[in-house]
Amino acid sequence: MSEPTKKNDRRDFLIKLGTGAGVCALGIQGLASARSLMPNVSYDAPTTVKLGPPAEFPDGLKFLADERLFIFRDGNTFHAVSAVCTHLGCTVRAEALPRPETATVGGAPLKLTHKFICPCHGSQYAGDGTNISGPAPKPLSWYRLSVAGDDGQLVVDLADEVDRDFRLTV
Amino acid sequence: MTMTPTPAPHPEAPGVRPRRFWSVTPRSDRDAGDAITSNFMLHAFPAKVSKASMAWSYSFWLGTITAALFLLLTLSGLPLMFLYVPSVERAYQSVKDIEYVITFGSWIRAVHRIAAHAMVVAVVLHLARVFFTGAYKNGIARGQHREWNWVIGVVMLLLTLFLSFTGYLLPWDQLAFWAVTVGTNIASAIPWVGAQVRELLIGGREIEQATLIRFYALHIIVLPGALGGLFAYHMWRVRKDGGLARADREEITEVARQVSPSPTKTYTLLGVTTGTAPTVTARSLEAPNTTVNAVPDLTRRAMIATLGTFAVISILAVFIASPLEEPANALITPNPAKAPWYFLWLQEIVTDTTIHMGSFTINGAFIGGVILPGVLIGLLTVWPWLDRSPSAVTGEWFPRARRTQNLVFILVMVAILLLTYVGMEMRGPYWQIYWPWETWPSMPGRI
Repeated sequence: MSEPTKKNDRRDFLIKLGTGAGVCALGIQGLASARSLMPNVSYDAPTTVKLGPPAEFPDGLKFLADERLFIFRDGNTFHAVSAVCTHLGCTVRAEALPRPETATVGGAPLKLTHKFICPCHGSQYAGDGTNISGPAPKPLSWYRLSVAGDDGQLVVDLADEVDRDFRLTV
Repeated sequence: MTMTPTPAPHPEAPGVRPRRFWSVTPRSDRDAGDAITSNFMLHAFPAKVSKASMAWSYSFWLGTITAALFLLLTLSGLPLMFLYVPSVERAYQSVKDIEYVITFGSWIRAVHRIAAHAMVVAVVLHLARVFFTGAYKNGIARGQHREWNWVIGVVMLLLTLFLSFTGYLLPWDQLAFWAVTVGTNIASAIPWVGAQVRELLIGGREIEQATLIRFYALHIIVLPGALGGLFAYHMWRVRKDGGLARADREEITEVARQVSPSPTKTYTLLGVTTGTAPTVTARSLEAPNTTVNAVPDLTRRAMIATLGTFAVISILAVFIASPLEEPANALITPNPAKAPWYFLWLQEIVTDTTIHMGSFTINGAFIGGVILPGVLIGLLTVWPWLDRSPSAVTGEWFPRARRTQNLVFILVMVAILLLTYVGMEMRGPYWQIYWPWETWPSMPGRI
């Protein structure tokens, strides 16, 4: 009476063990395969980029296509605004204003010469990057500018967002 | 030594003659039937099918046409696989070679491209047909699970869209690059995990070599394999569920009546005991005047649908050239930059759904690109369980009992079509609305 039950128990146990081992093996292999698709090393361009001597930047706006960045110069003062639309990542275009305006941005006056329009979904930004219409959820980013210690070039750090009171005076 | 006499060859069944290249020589009608049901290709179909469910005007054969397009895409994809190089340095050049240098290359590419667009259309029409006829509902037969076949169908629709989208990137031109930029950025609008999902999808933070090889592997192996497997399951379920839903309708509407038993069928004794002569009560598919043999009636029509699809696509491919824009350039966004046409309704919605509440903002990409399609797909998936109409209207076009839901379905489809049209034809530079009679202003190519 007890023997068949015992036998069944053992068979049952072995079936469960085998199935469990199979599921674990396949599951772990699946997870390992999925993990291998998450990159460990990024070969993307570095975030700190030398942009050239400050004197070479014209007064007003210069667009740097590789960095997707606008560099603004007003005399000795520089600031950098991202050209990546905050909606879906298209590159925004700058349109010159009919006449430059001066606004207070981040507590300091700033001469606004352009506005920005995104070609993908028509988001519009004011000259300081504030989103004014369209689907863009937030303003364009501002990045930290500095002067390289070795050769005096202008350096942008695309990983370092700054507040809009940031100005670099050279 | 005695010779065993060679047995006399069996007389051939009437109408059955041995043929060259065809090893089956059935000795009777029954053998001929067995040869069919034991043949892998032919037993994909049942022996008998209801005539009404084969009518062109019931199903428009949209499922068969979709399957034929998938077959055509596989066939035309093969030569393209030999010619295309999935590397960012050479992808564009190899597609350009296919288009302008290789003999028949532009035609093969056009067949592949047109078939891909047509497949999206055919899948959606097939889904609409199944919805309008309530064909995801179970009729009267036991063991039917049509609702699960509907769910499989919805998954296959998503796979078809994703297949088309992954193929979109491969030419590595401006059209491809920016459509995929917009498409994958929608994924990054998912809260918390969005950036990781996008990184997994494109293999980094920028659309680069890692993205191209991922989309290539998905496009040629992973997605077609999954679609092929699900297709096999889809067909098997259709058979398990008793054929198209229209066949159930026949069973319901027809009054059971006495017929003399068929000589080729075996009946249990219970079935023949009533009356003085052996008769059976039939109200089913086996009724002789409502069914026909699957071979050749069904196979012939399937062949016509398949060959017709091949012919139409092949001829269209002669006249419609495939576009190839400038090589992909991450530095210049075309103006306007548009997603593939079947995602344009989503692009329209992501344009219009950014919500500002004081300082709190929800990105339109999240509402229009994630929430809304998620809700639509979710509703579509669970609809068979929400639909409470009687099973008697299974397989009927626009029945009164399902009028409201059919109307809502039509309205959603019309809205999607309208948004697609607006996105395709009316969005000019900077995504401004331009009426068809207005000319687009010329825009500087760069900043």
